Amino acid sequence: MTETARSKIEGPSLEPDLDALLAGDEKAFERLVTQESPRLFRIVFRILGDEEESQNIIQETFLQAFQRIKTFRRESKFTTWLYAIGINLARGSLRKSKRMTSLSDSDFDRLQPSFSKGMFVETVASWDPLRIAEQTNRHEILHRAIDRLPEDYKTIVILRDIEEHSTEEVAKMLEISGGAVRVRLHRARVALREMLNPHFQYQRQSAE
Amino acid sequence: MNVVYTIKTLLGLAPNCKKVTSFLADYVEGTLPRKVSQQFDEHLGMCKCCGPYFDQYRTTIDLIKEGREVKLPAELVEHTMTFLRNNANLSR
Ligand SMILES: [Zn+2]
Repeated sequence: MTETARSKIEGPSLEPDLDALLAGDEKAFERLVTQESPRLFRIVFRILGDEEESQNIIQETFLQAFQRIKTFRRESKFTTWLYAIGINLARGSLRKSKRMTSLSDSDFDRLQPSFSKGMFVETVASWDPLRIAEQTNRHEILHRAIDRLPEDYKTIVILRDIEEHSTEEVAKMLEISGGAVRVRLHRARVALREMLNPHFQYQRQSAE
Repeated sequence: MNVVYTIKTLLGLAPNCKKVTSFLADYVEGTLPRKVSQQFDEHLGMCKCCGPYFDQYRTTIDLIKEGREVKLPAELVEHTMTFLRNNANLSR
């Protein structure tokens, strides 16, 4: 395959041929699957953390897209519509599975800072850059923390900060307002900062 | 934080910690009005809490973005297409 041919199939800018998809054309679906399944898989896998289940979700996503394509209203990008299907399936699967060990809403709220008359109640101790750098499992610590976020916060961190979709796209995928995306992303980052805090603070010299 | 600045926050002439921390996402993205952004610069520069808090907020974002790679399963496309051919009424 030539480079141009490849970029025609896999390039990010290509809008799928809707008429061909509407007609159920196999080649058009093959192009769609080739172009979108890798990105969609990454999102679904980050939500679920299970390769086999993620692969099932991808298959089901494209099947549903095939079955429901006549309901696509062209108000958003086609890929946004497609991803919304996949994300919904992934979230449904996560809720059904007993693997979910996320924080309760009240525990999540406790990770937000408290203020008195607009000022921090507790002082904020600095993080130790050396300790962060030396902690080779820092990404492990972070991803365990992300997994503990309530599901709707976790999804937004994955879509906005990791996969770097725009606020508007994420709002459409999740059918919430852009404001809600911004607020939840911020609250999620704040909660993550708090969960990382004990791992990264300067350690007190143990007093003998 | 010095006394003058504290009085300014109480009079609403400067943002307090709660306001600054609530708008850090917009501050990082650079979407705040310039005047507000400058007020935040000033606050972050002198507040013993918000200064480190902001550094940690940014470090957290950096760590999230460094992320870990997701390995794609082999034959993801092929398996999906086989599934579609078996379950969807595609036209050739
Ligand atoms: Zn402050």
